[in-house]
Amino acid sequence: MASSSSSGLTFKLHPLVMVNISDHYTRVKSQMNPPVTSTSCSNTNGNGNGEGGDSAAVKAPPPPPRVYGCVIGVQRGRTVEIFNSFELLYDSATDSLDRAFLLKKQELYKKVFPNFYVLGWYSTGSDAEESDMHIHKALMDINESPVYVLLNPAINHAQKDLPVTIYESEMHVIDGIPQLIFVNSSYTIETVEAERISVDHVAHLKPSDGGSAATQLAAHLTSIHSAIKMLNSRIRVLHHYLVAMQKGEIPYENSLLRQVSSLLRRLPAIESEKFQDDFLMEYSDTLLITYLAMFTNCSSTMNELVEKFNTAYDRHSRRGGRTAFI
Amino acid sequence: MEAGKRKTEEEQQTLVDRKRKAEISEPPPPTTTTTVTMNAVESLVTQIQGLSGSPNDVVALHAHLNKVDEALRGESARLLPFLDQLDPSIHSLGYLYLLDACTSGPVSKEQATNLVLITSRFLTSCSTEQIRLAPEKFTGMCKRFKDQVLLIEAPMRGVAPLLVAVRKVQPSSEHLTSLHPDFLQLCLLAKCYKTGVSLLEDDIFEVTQPRDLFLYCYYGGMICIGQKHFQKALELLHNVVTAPMTSINAIAVEAYKKYALVSLIDNGQFSPSLPKYASSSAQRNFKNFCQPYIELANTYSNGKIAELETFVQKHREKFDSDNNLGLVKQVVSSMYKRNIQRLTQTYLTLSLQDIANTVQLNSAKEAEMHVLQMIQDGEIFATINQKDGMVRFLEDPEQYKSSGVIERIDSSIQRLMTLSKKLTNMDEQMSCDSLYLAKAGRERQRFDFDDFDSVPQKFNM
Repeated sequence: MASSSSSGLTFKLHPLVMVNISDHYTRVKSQMNPPVTSTSCSNTNGNGNGEGGDSAAVKAPPPPPRVYGCVIGVQRGRTVEIFNSFELLYDSATDSLDRAFLLKKQELYKKVFPNFYVLGWYSTGSDAEESDMHIHKALMDINESPVYVLLNPAINHAQKDLPVTIYESEMHVIDGIPQLIFVNSSYTIETVEAERISVDHVAHLKPSDGGSAATQLAAHLTSIHSAIKMLNSRIRVLHHYLVAMQKGEIPYENSLLRQVSSLLRRLPAIESEKFQDDFLMEYSDTLLITYLAMFTNCSSTMNELVEKFNTAYDRHSRRGGRTAFI
Repeated sequence: MEAGKRKTEEEQQTLVDRKRKAEISEPPPPTTTTTVTMNAVESLVTQIQGLSGSPNDVVALHAHLNKVDEALRGESARLLPFLDQLDPSIHSLGYLYLLDACTSGPVSKEQATNLVLITSRFLTSCSTEQIRLAPEKFTGMCKRFKDQVLLIEAPMRGVAPLLVAVRKVQPSSEHLTSLHPDFLQLCLLAKCYKTGVSLLEDDIFEVTQPRDLFLYCYYGGMICIGQKHFQKALELLHNVVTAPMTSINAIAVEAYKKYALVSLIDNGQFSPSLPKYASSSAQRNFKNFCQPYIELANTYSNGKIAELETFVQKHREKFDSDNNLGLVKQVVSSMYKRNIQRLTQTYLTLSLQDIANTVQLNSAKEAEMHVLQMIQDGEIFATINQKDGMVRFLEDPEQYKSSGVIERIDSSIQRLMTLSKKLTNMDEQMSCDSLYLAKAGRERQRFDFDDFDSVPQKFNM
């Protein structure tokens, strides 16, 4: 199915489209009903087989749902720029997308973005399928050569690039029959300033409730800590290497030694007494603040402990009183 | 070793024969008391030697030793030579029982010298795991050791062995054992305060006997006074004075007297009222026993040295009988210091004669001595110009910029972190305490206004 496209079109994809598709997919997946239990499943099968259902194997997890939608954008000359996307309902009876809804949506978007045209459609999955061709052909009356954007929702940590592929349709002769097939096209990512900021924001937001000062401080300190750790390990490697060289296990390499020596000569950046003074003063200030914070922490724990203790053991406290619930 | 053993066995066999012959003519002994013959002790010794290898054997040995303990005590006089056959570091448990039986009876002065030697050697070399199987016996024996050391009037000899003993018997450095106050008492009598201070560095979290805590804090306070660490002494004495007690005891009364004096030396003031968390019996009764001290505090706050000195002279015997005369003298000298310190806040430079007049000293020479002493102790910062007899007061040169300061803060933070962890643990334990949960459940509002689910009226524990 996938060979390089020869149409000569350059595709530019905006991050908004990818975020939209992934959001659509995530929503649908999380709203799915939980899978049917194994016993009821085997009951429907077991009666036919005449066997008990209890020993049936666990049912395989349901296949991930496929979501569908339209992509819109601008085509200028040979450059196709995909700006935005919206969702569509897939009608499995007729095996096509809901045409009325699509037209209505198209009208609405035309009012807001007069320049944008329907450029194609999107779906999720690992690879393009035969049934996709029907949808593709159905869209050909809106756009002569629609574009098919496929997002692979499977999370693969080893994969370095984006799991998005763009397909075009071309007429090829296979076994003597001219057929439309999907061919792979390359694309580039194009960002507007607003998109860049939001992507950056999402990328750095690791904790779920992120944004409070404490988590930001923790994230900042963690990144500094990992940077220092990496520096430490690199220096250790260098040190180990130099020691081995000194012992004679490794032959002398003068160019490397020269580099190390120049690095060392650059080292004492600030060595004056005034710097020491200021540095120590600031260091002790920070330590004092930490000390104060620890004190407050301890005091509050102590306070709670004493209150609990008094509630449990103090004979002279309030008897049987109901404190106002505020 | 074998031949020797057999030989003594033969000797003892003849002893036993003679004894048996004697017994036949006597009425048979009552069956409740088992007379332990030398033979049995010998076999016990070999048993100890055999069973001190692995931990399981030691436990079995412990059970056996408990059975024969009573009988051993009856033979206390004759057990001494058997101790030489045992090695204190390997056969610690058996050695302990034998030594304990040896010392259970009254001990004369000559015996005491010998016993002190043996016990100190034992304490320094015994094995910790075996000792921990019989802590009460060990503690009792150590207390008797302390008595013997006092009997021969050489408290210094008991200090090092007792310190080792304390470290061996306490389950962790946070536990207070009954040996702590005995050790501190010996330190006080031997005047080696530094060793005592090393024990006071530990923070105590677990206490079994309240009397131990009282004595520990009282003696600890006295040691700190001896070392002139008045702040820590104040802390320790404060613990005694505000400790929970249903009825006051003599230790607390004495501690209250010293507490008053130390707070005068350190803070320059003393309020006789105790904080709210002190026990009610303490709040009511201390004043009755410590009247002269409270009056001393009142006189001190007036700020007139002559009055203070006449007061001290008047009640001299009372202070002396409480052994507090030295402290009282320090209180008087602290008054001079405080007055000189007050001068630093008003004047930048002052002549020695003026200082003598203001502080009511006799001469400029005395004033110079006082100021010099205070500069040395670090209580004021000043320079004395000998030519014209002027004293110039300076600011505290400490900038808090050195790495020493940083180390101090860092170690304090570490201590605070461990304390915080302990507090959270205690808090969690308290939340699970059944008494607390019962009371907390009872005090809940019957109906929650937000939702109309019926809240359970009380927890049935």
